[in-house]
Amino acid sequence: MSGAMDYALWIPVLPIVAFPIILFLGNVFKGTDLWRGKWKEGGIIATVVIGTCLGLSIWLIVGYIGQVTGNESVGQIGDWLSFHMVENGNLVSYTIGFGMYLDHVSVMLLFVASFLCFLIAIFSLGYMNTDPVNLDRNHRFYAEFLLFCAGMLGMVLADNFLWLFIFWEIMGLCSYLLIGFYYERPSAAYAAKKAFLTTRVGDVFLLIGLLILWNLFGSLDFSVVWAEDNIAAVDAGTLKIALFMMFVGAVGKSAQFPLHVWLPDAMEGPTPVSALIHAATMVNAGLYLVARMFPFFASPAMEGEFTDLAILIAWIGGITAFMAALIAFVQRDIKKVLAYSTMSQLAYIFTGLGAALWFANTGHEEIALLAFGASMFHLFNHAMAKGMLFMASGSVIHEMHHAHHEVSHHGSSESAERDAGGAAAGVDHAAHGGHEDHDHFDAQDMSNMGGLASKMPITATAMAVGSASIIGIPLIGGFWSKEGIVGAAWQASLTPGGAWMLVPALLVLITAGMTGFYMSRMWLMTFAGKPKTPVANGVVEQTPFIPIPLVTLTVMTLGGVVFAGFEFVHWVADGHAEMHFTNVLSGIGVELKHAFLPSGEENGALIYLVTMLTIVISTIVGPAIAMALYGGRLAKGEKAKPWLAWLVSLSSRVRRKNHFDNSTWAESGLADSLHQRLYFDAWYDAAMLKIVVPFANACAWFDQHVIDGAIKGLEYGSQEGSSVIRRLTTGSGRDYIMMVALGTLAIFVLIWGVA
Amino acid sequence: MWAVVLGICLFTIGLWGAITRKNAIIVLMCIEIILNAVNLNFVAAAAQHGDVTGWVYTVFAIAIAAAEVAIGLAIFLSFYGHKETISLDEMELLKH
Repeated sequence: MSGAMDYALWIPVLPIVAFPIILFLGNVFKGTDLWRGKWKEGGIIATVVIGTCLGLSIWLIVGYIGQVTGNESVGQIGDWLSFHMVENGNLVSYTIGFGMYLDHVSVMLLFVASFLCFLIAIFSLGYMNTDPVNLDRNHRFYAEFLLFCAGMLGMVLADNFLWLFIFWEIMGLCSYLLIGFYYERPSAAYAAKKAFLTTRVGDVFLLIGLLILWNLFGSLDFSVVWAEDNIAAVDAGTLKIALFMMFVGAVGKSAQFPLHVWLPDAMEGPTPVSALIHAATMVNAGLYLVARMFPFFASPAMEGEFTDLAILIAWIGGITAFMAALIAFVQRDIKKVLAYSTMSQLAYIFTGLGAALWFANTGHEEIALLAFGASMFHLFNHAMAKGMLFMASGSVIHEMHHAHHEVSHHGSSESAERDAGGAAAGVDHAAHGGHEDHDHFDAQDMSNMGGLASKMPITATAMAVGSASIIGIPLIGGFWSKEGIVGAAWQASLTPGGAWMLVPALLVLITAGMTGFYMSRMWLMTFAGKPKTPVANGVVEQTPFIPIPLVTLTVMTLGGVVFAGFEFVHWVADGHAEMHFTNVLSGIGVELKHAFLPSGEENGALIYLVTMLTIVISTIVGPAIAMALYGGRLAKGEKAKPWLAWLVSLSSRVRRKNHFDNSTWAESGLADSLHQRLYFDAWYDAAMLKIVVPFANACAWFDQHVIDGAIKGLEYGSQEGSSVIRRLTTGSGRDYIMMVALGTLAIFVLIWGVA
Repeated sequence: MWAVVLGICLFTIGLWGAITRKNAIIVLMCIEIILNAVNLNFVAAAAQHGDVTGWVYTVFAIAIAAAEVAIGLAIFLSFYGHKETISLDEMELLKH
């Protein structure tokens, strides 16, 4: 253990070091065949670096789990800065250290982050390097990618809130850079700015929260602020304000209502970025922060003080889950569906955490830990599944793009030749964008797809398994955790004093069914039915590297049952519980009971009913409606893999039996407002125009006239003054002598006068 | 005491000449007068206090003044080579 801990520092440091190296090498060797071919424009370096980080992480994690005691281990690496402050007239010196903090939560997130970053790096080798648009600038992508990974890994390992915040901001910067990777597109530049500024709102709150926390505890070290004695000594009201501020920061980072507007637009970035930022890592940072508030809520000294904050967290989660799922109903862009699904699932975790914090704060420690564990496990499952879904969608988009390229150049030997010459491909791509229908064809639009199940078997399978995990099909991935969250929310609402939890509980229950609908809709529109365009007909799964992460994550997601068998939920909640590696089957039994009766025995019958209802609406009702609307047989002669063929034929059978027309609802005002994303963007724009722009104008006026005026006046005055004084400089020696004489005389007079 | 008054008179005459005259050599002579006024003060003070330091300084100052005159005249000679005049009004290169 100690051995791994010594090297733990390298986990965030290695990517930071590699970041400028790739940029430098990329700028030097840009365009050479060796750099493009062998080095994949820096992709190999990035993959190796992240692979090393993954290895170190696994070493650390295995050591941690093997230790069994579950006590967090702290590796203090050194003092970062020390300073003195005057407090009440006394000089007090403070030291801010830098170290590693490892407990069950950070271990879990460390694995998620490093594992997914590694797979996404491999995915990028296929996705980024075969797209001519990216030629000769991939090194920028890989460099920023590494810096981002460093931010995430560092944040997970940080042992105080200040370093957590620093790495948090590194991630914010990188998300800006990566979303704006195609900065020549105005929409991408806008999306990058929007993501940066929206999360900045949250970050300001977070910083204020941390400052209040500092004021209360005189330290931001986890070990200090979580100490029971220290928590008991501070004022509950002030601490609540600090926690609220930190929660707003988490809301911004995890794209929750009302700071959610940046996430869908952020899909402008390359797909690996979407997978990285919006599924696997960055959005989890907010959840991690909220999870780190648990000790404050669980402190006996604070019992009952923060219940309203916990309820607020659950409410935000419930509202976001419902709203995002609703908007996901009408999205046609495959990545936008996933973006809203991400928001919705993260909101589930927020609801679960809200319930956990509520239980913790009202003294129901055991249920609190279970709800907390379920939330963390959902984070794990969601990250795995959503990372895979994003990569699968990237695979689809990439092949669609490629097929479109083939179709639109059919018969034109000249452009085929130009395509063959890889070097000219970038120019070619840019050149024909204007006059052909390249602009009009949207490779991400699901209404251009269809029937891909037989053409892209690996992607279709991955997508199906990922969707199943998000929906919560029994025994697969997300099932184990989603039931826990829904159950915990209901349990909280049935506990005396928790009536306010009823609304989020109801919302997450309804959202479970909606999740079933929109995920199935996405899969069916993409993979079932007949190809809707000639482009979709010509799709072939051929890009190298892409299948590797898809297959790995499919196995991981299906293996959710094994993780559940380890009693992962109990382990991640408590840290003192053991992982059961040997009794997987009995563990599954325990978890199965837990899944159907998530939180204890009280109100058992009702909770059982709720969980059953969740399963029924999410796995049967939602998908069935989607099948009735979007199902369909594949084109003649196409044969899908048996497990996919079964799904497709089921969907077509459901559709034939229950075909119903949804055109009235599709043209209704509700659908329209959903298309407009419930007008949040319009409202924010209006608010900008009404408040921010006049304020900015006033600031600009103040800057130009008052501040600049003062400086310009100074400049003008000194210029004028010096041109007056300059006349004294005659250059004649006699004048100088006279001045010296007069000056001396003046000095004498002064001395005489004083004396 | 009267030596000090004489010193002040000489100093004023020298300063006045240095400021008003155009001819560089006369200015140089005026500066010599100033120096000698100072020397006179030194000697008078030394006599008053019975301290040799003033006399030592005077000898020192006379030696330095001789060297200074030599350098000054050399500069004027060189300047004359350039401009064919040693009028101080022409010496205004410091302005630039």
